[in-house]
Amino acid sequence: MKKIRLILFGVFTLCCLIAWSMPTFAKEKTVAFLSLSDFTGPIAGLAVDIEKACEDYFTYINENGGVDGVKIRYIPIDTRYDVARAISGYKRYRKTNKLLVANAVSTPIGKALEPLFNRDKLVWLVAADGEFVAHPKRGFLWGNCYQDGFSAALDWMAADWKSKGNSGMPTVGYMGWDSAYGRELLRGGKEYAEKIGVNLLKPEYFPTGTMDHSTYLTRLKNANYIWVGGIDPNPTNVIRDAHRLGMTKTIQFVCGYWGPAQYLGVRLHNKALQGTVVTVFTIRGTDAQKHPLIKKMWLKYRKKPINELPGPYGIGLGWALHFEAALRIALKDVGYKKLDGEAMFQAYQKLGGRDITQGIQGICTYGPNERRASKVVRFYQVKGKELVPISGWVKAPDSISLHKF
Amino acid sequence: MRPCGVFDETYEKDIAIVRTRGHWLLLIGSLLFLFILPLFAPYYLLNLTNNIFITVIVVLGLQIVTGCCGQISFGQPAFMAVGAFFSAVLTTKFGISFWIALPLSGIAAGLVGLIGGAPSLRIKGFYLAMGTIAIFYLTMWVITHLHITGGHQGLSVESPSIGSFVFDTDERIYYIILIITIILTFFARNLLRSRVGRVFVAIRDNDLAAEVMGVNTFYYKLLAFFISCFYAGIGGSLFCHWYTVVNSEQYTLIHGLNFIGMIIVGGLGSIPGVFFGVIFLRLLDELVLFGSPFLTELIPKLGIAPAASLGVMVFGLVLIIFLIFQPRGLAHTWEILKTSYRIYPYKN
Repeated sequence: MKKIRLILFGVFTLCCLIAWSMPTFAKEKTVAFLSLSDFTGPIAGLAVDIEKACEDYFTYINENGGVDGVKIRYIPIDTRYDVARAISGYKRYRKTNKLLVANAVSTPIGKALEPLFNRDKLVWLVAADGEFVAHPKRGFLWGNCYQDGFSAALDWMAADWKSKGNSGMPTVGYMGWDSAYGRELLRGGKEYAEKIGVNLLKPEYFPTGTMDHSTYLTRLKNANYIWVGGIDPNPTNVIRDAHRLGMTKTIQFVCGYWGPAQYLGVRLHNKALQGTVVTVFTIRGTDAQKHPLIKKMWLKYRKKPINELPGPYGIGLGWALHFEAALRIALKDVGYKKLDGEAMFQAYQKLGGRDITQGIQGICTYGPNERRASKVVRFYQVKGKELVPISGWVKAPDSISLHKF
Repeated sequence: MRPCGVFDETYEKDIAIVRTRGHWLLLIGSLLFLFILPLFAPYYLLNLTNNIFITVIVVLGLQIVTGCCGQISFGQPAFMAVGAFFSAVLTTKFGISFWIALPLSGIAAGLVGLIGGAPSLRIKGFYLAMGTIAIFYLTMWVITHLHITGGHQGLSVESPSIGSFVFDTDERIYYIILIITIILTFFARNLLRSRVGRVFVAIRDNDLAAEVMGVNTFYYKLLAFFISCFYAGIGGSLFCHWYTVVNSEQYTLIHGLNFIGMIIVGGLGSIPGVFFGVIFLRLLDELVLFGSPFLTELIPKLGIAPAASLGVMVFGLVLIIFLIFQPRGLAHTWEILKTSYRIYPYKN
């Protein structure tokens, strides 16, 4: 009897809590941001930290009265990198009051949901797939596109090669996931390599969960530089294997923005990663730790030492800052009552030319025919236990125009 | 056990699926309900129902090969992918109608399944499971490295149509999925009470004994694989024409594990068990899907933690609970409930 009473009391308390919270949502002016992310799948290693940043900034805005009085409802969904689950999640929330932006955190999910997002006239965000830049619709990239980042890295490799007193152009190896994302970089990146005369070896694609990358690496032993794709700790593991094979002594390894993060890969295999270069569209490492907004959010909401800051935290802040800026414009343009996906779409296109992210990313380049958030990258290098900057913002080449999508 | 006062007087009655007037009424009522569901069901519920029915088709196939014939297979998502890509290629590259591509994609998956089933002659149990994982990876590798399948980028697919009527909404395609689910469920149920079905069960229970009795076990094992993969192919074809996009990353080994989980929860070897398992786990998944953001809003201090961990924890927990407390699945619980009702007021 005592047990039943206890259970009933528990149920009653829960009902009270729900009843207490419900009217709060109803009374406030709110808009929604849906993030279809991967919290437990292959890209969870970094995706969770990015989501935390986005959540932190929205919490901060809401605590300070919202955007012109409008609070932001952040809806995180764990897709587990599963398209069916993402579609189900989207269909569950697509009718949410004032849902303005949906974020597709995976290449296949972005591709599968694109027609639905466009049909519902929503703004949607997607990582860095070039085809959404080549055929601009309602999808906006988080930063620059994969192929531009890769091309910028090729420029860096060529410059580095020459600075070491070598003549001609370097030989570059490419390693990436055997997936649409893994191959995306060469859709334009390959053409750029041909254009500048870099000798690009036959790319090596490996399955997402590969434990040992030695076989793939040995086929690239003649390279001067090797680009390693994949999502941390995956690229870290590739370089770990290269280190074991003694390849890190003779070959320079370069990664993309999903590459080794200071708090993850750099700590995991610190010795192997020494000297590795990371090409990113948001500030990282020591730069990120010093950035006032990043520091403020991390210390206020995560309450952990700043040296435990996850590398891609700035990406999530980028999503939130762009959303905030666009929302401000849309509210000014049409007001809260008429605020919808179309108004937000118009607002996103007006963000270009401004430093929306307070220096976390480059100057915003969104526009009526431009879906890249920025066109610049920065290079970092693993030195000791840190990722230290080795360049300022560098303009990335436009490799989208080189490929036929 | 028959309902009280119901006797089988002929062989036809003995093997009938629907036995009493009550059964008929229940069946007709259920079908009627399912056919009028789109008239009042919200958009999201129809999407969920479509998803459940397609999963039911795929898991029915798995039930035949694993639950009934005892051949463990983790390769079901790969055969689903074969069906999806085959159908996508036939309709987009060769202009063949969906209605012809649908059965052909089932047959294509079935034929690929024969290759997957071939090792079952020599290996069984854990080793066969490993073999099917290898088949999964091989099949997916081939699919992603063929030019005609669009490689890793996949293909955009048109919705099915009859004349100018296009099945391009959840409500419209629901009817195609529903009718095919009914036909394939009926076929699976019928198969299990036929000679072939009994041979499958004999192989599952003791394949050596079955062989001694004159059963060509290799033939029947392959047949089970063919039927299973045919179901997966049909499911894959429906899946791609519903989403209008096909991509290799939609078919992962995790799906294979989930399908196995569904037949464990539902009950190995039982056709109603497939429905129980699929509905139970899919609904649980949906509950987690919209339960976690709700928890995040209710208790902001939790942050994204519920979304990040709840789903996997719940799935694992449910499987463990079922394996310990109800290894015969929900179908067995259902049977106990039915028997209790039939012999009332006596106790089961």
